[in-house]
Amino acid sequence: MTKIKRILIANRGEIAVRIMKTAHLMKIETVAVKTAVEPNAMYLASADVIFDNTDDISEIPVFLDIEKLIAIALKTKANAIHPGYGFLAENAYFAQKCIENKLIFIGPSPDAIYKMGNKTIARRIALAIGIPMAMGSEGNIANEEEAAVIAEKIGYPVIIKAASGGGGRGMRIVRKADEMEKMFIIASKEAEKAFNDPSVFVEKYIENPKHIEFQILGDTKGNVIHLGERECSIQRKHQKLLEEAPSGALDDELRQKMGNMAVQIAKAVDYHSAGTVEFLLDSEKNFYFMEMNTRIQVEHPVTEIITGLDLIEQQIRIANGEELKFRQNDIKLEGWAIECRINAEDVQAGFAPDPGKIENLHMPTDSCVRVDTGVQVGSSIVANYDSMIAKLIVTGKDRKDAIKNCKMALDKVWIKGTKTTLPFFRMLVRHQKFQDGSFTTAFIEKDLERYYFNSEYEEMLAAWLATKLFIEENLNDDSINVNFEHGKEMSPWLLNKRINQF
Amino acid sequence: MANDNLQIKKLYALSSENRKFSFSLPLKQTIRIGKRDYEVKLKADEKYGTYILWKNRKYPVEIVRSSQNKYEILFNDISYTFTVETPFSLKRMKVLSSKRGKIEREYIKAPMPGKIIDVLVREGSTVVKGEPVVILEAMKMQNELLSPVNGTVVKVTAKSNTNVMKDDLLVEIKL
Repeated sequence: MTKIKRILIANRGEIAVRIMKTAHLMKIETVAVKTAVEPNAMYLASADVIFDNTDDISEIPVFLDIEKLIAIALKTKANAIHPGYGFLAENAYFAQKCIENKLIFIGPSPDAIYKMGNKTIARRIALAIGIPMAMGSEGNIANEEEAAVIAEKIGYPVIIKAASGGGGRGMRIVRKADEMEKMFIIASKEAEKAFNDPSVFVEKYIENPKHIEFQILGDTKGNVIHLGERECSIQRKHQKLLEEAPSGALDDELRQKMGNMAVQIAKAVDYHSAGTVEFLLDSEKNFYFMEMNTRIQVEHPVTEIITGLDLIEQQIRIANGEELKFRQNDIKLEGWAIECRINAEDVQAGFAPDPGKIENLHMPTDSCVRVDTGVQVGSSIVANYDSMIAKLIVTGKDRKDAIKNCKMALDKVWIKGTKTTLPFFRMLVRHQKFQDGSFTTAFIEKDLERYYFNSEYEEMLAAWLATKLFIEENLNDDSINVNFEHGKEMSPWLLNKRINQF
Repeated sequence: MANDNLQIKKLYALSSENRKFSFSLPLKQTIRIGKRDYEVKLKADEKYGTYILWKNRKYPVEIVRSSQNKYEILFNDISYTFTVETPFSLKRMKVLSSKRGKIEREYIKAPMPGKIIDVLVREGSTVVKGEPVVILEAMKMQNELLSPVNGTVVKVTAKSNTNVMKDDLLVEIKL
């Protein structure tokens, strides 16, 4: 079997940087694609070869264009493709096309991607091997009448989910029978638009659960192990904001039980590469299989920290046909890790994206902090892609210590040019429910009155600044009794002409 | 204004949530907390841009917008809007607002370029503060635009499945 020598990164941003970092350590070359949207992106600097695709005027991003990516790989003599996350990472056809063109796809088999990508098939597989699941329909549901019959049987509330779905789209909670018709139509339409597949199914809606997922690793020799869990209950509209590993909600016994289930699901589809099995955990510690993600995930660093493993390295080794060098018993979870997704979003405006140019960026350099980012000063957060600026990954010896370090690290992050989710995290690490671990996926919607934190004096200092500016602009007349010694010291905004008019 | 200036001893910064901060003139470079005065400095350098130095900590600051006496300030990643008033303008404002009432119209505009996914209100709908009125898709996310006020919708210019530019007017609400 030929070994991986040069990898085309079919992605951008921080994950492209992340993959290239490991590839360099393994002395493997990388190819990055330069696009017209981000011709000066940071990830390009890490690549050995840059393919210039800036003359591509197609409306579809190149990272979604299967034919083009294959052609680029062949042209640049890459013999492997890493899809990262998002884009084509969970597209079975893309994985198949890679194989057909003798390119190593760094990820699972097309068959595993297909089976786990289709939620109805995944449910059937999980059911067959006795994985606990929320009760629901056998397969897809044809219409709202059928959905209503099942809902009556399992009891409201129920959730309608897109068979090909993910990321919260095509999902609707139905609390009463008379909402069914409307919600069914909305979910089905949304599913068709987002995934080109209107099929949906129904299952019992678990109220206020925790989101617990297991990282698994499988090789091509049939070995599958898990690397413990991550808790991702801090989410807004199914978009994760903060993840941690391990979870305070699990003890060793439950960890072993859920971990075994995750391994079994992976084995049922002959899974190789890194993957994630997602569960919901209710307040009685019952767990339910939700779905399996057949890719490297955004939140993989927290698992890397508590296991000491490099998951990208493991993906590459597995894709090379190597056997895992460790077994389940060798995996020891040590310490605690928390990841904050620092996004260009306005928490004061309901987390609305706030694209813009990064004018200033400083990240803490403490040893307990790891930063994964794809932007630097001068980079733009563009509306074409997601709003991620950086992942702030903080370590501690236990959860309390990790939260303490996180609080410290958040105060050291310095970003100018766009609004960010920082004030949200500053609030979160101080919140009683986060500290005591009793939060659920409903936390942001139900438990928060305010989405951000400011210390007692910050508003007053801002008021002082507004007053100072007013004086500089309006009262700078020598005839009046105002002390200008300090007032004239500086008005950087006036000098820079950076003040926009209302 | 020149005549007024001679007598100004105080300025007030009124927040959008109606909190009042008063500062005596000349403006001091210190702020009193309890019995102690703490120095506050506005600075700028290459490395950090503009910032305020307070109790040995740097806070990033930015003037987002300003017009006349209204300032939107980004302080440590949080926006604040203040109007700065003199004792006279404050008095005048109070008289005017008691006569005329406050703002009568609220305009909901697109906070960013994107696509309107859904319009949740119609002309004549009553809305309460915090109620979603329009769903705007941008940057792979569906964003609910919320009504900042209680009121009645008087005009809906947003249409489903159309693209909008930043600051396009979507919905007009009468208080």
